[in-house]
Amino acid sequence: MNQSQDDAIEELLRKQFDGPVLDEGFSRRLLQRLPQRRRRVTWPLWFGIATGAVACWLALLSSPLPRTAWRDWMSGEWSAPTIMLLLAALGMAMLALAWGVAEADDR
Amino acid sequence: MTDGAAEARVDQGLVTRVLLGEDRRAFEQLVLRHQGMVRAQLRRLLHGDAAGADDLAQETFLLAWRKLDQFRGDARFSTWIYRIAYSCFLQAYRKQPRTADDASEGEAERLHAPPHAMDLELDFKRAMRRLSAAEQTVLLHCVQMGLSHEEAAYVLAMPLGTVKTHATRGKAKLKAWLAAWNEAARVEEAS
Repeated sequence: MNQSQDDAIEELLRKQFDGPVLDEGFSRRLLQRLPQRRRRVTWPLWFGIATGAVACWLALLSSPLPRTAWRDWMSGEWSAPTIMLLLAALGMAMLALAWGVAEADDR
Repeated sequence: MTDGAAEARVDQGLVTRVLLGEDRRAFEQLVLRHQGMVRAQLRRLLHGDAAGADDLAQETFLLAWRKLDQFRGDARFSTWIYRIAYSCFLQAYRKQPRTADDASEGEAERLHAPPHAMDLELDFKRAMRRLSAAEQTVLLHCVQMGLSHEEAAYVLAMPLGTVKTHATRGKAKLKAWLAAWNEAARVEEAS
């Protein structure tokens, strides 16, 4: 099988293809059927974030843990509450990263 | 800048206009620019069924309109729309019962030239139909529509190696058929 045969096959294949079809009203008919584009709704996301933040704040309101952790962190002391606070922050950062990667894959 | 790159930039600009301003005229431009090839692609996939191809083309562009915000410009817009068209075709094809027209791999292996050299193009068309569906589809996209192997792999959602294999096998079968056809033509001329 040589190059000229290869070229001949490709030439025959291209001859068999009729090329682009003339519009003949196709676009007009299609545009008449075009619905309104749905805008992406963002309020559920913000509502979820706000609800989560309020729930966290209420859950920790009566606990001395965040205040102790913050105080120890500011004084440079690696106490158990400080480590827990850092682990919680790390966990949330990892979740955000995983979400970001999953979203990027979908695109 | 090549023509293809310039065309891709125009498409990208039109997509941005649609997304930013609900611009139907920009989408109309996209439809006008690509409907011809999308309909040609679908007609070929449907073996010339123009009405069926137009229905699928309409479905393709309606889907593109709805999902335009998912177009990130990683591929050319034309490639992206061919991919949607091909997946619409596959969905429609899966719903339909198989016909005797669908050539199997086994039949394609027995591809041979007609006993008498008749009209080359007509016979070539028949030879094409004797290739497996995958080989026909790959040759349609790679040779007839002029996509690169990488673009065809994206459109057909196939691994690149599989696309290359189908293209090589399909061409080899057609070459064998063409060689036999030339031989038959020579014999016919001599007699």
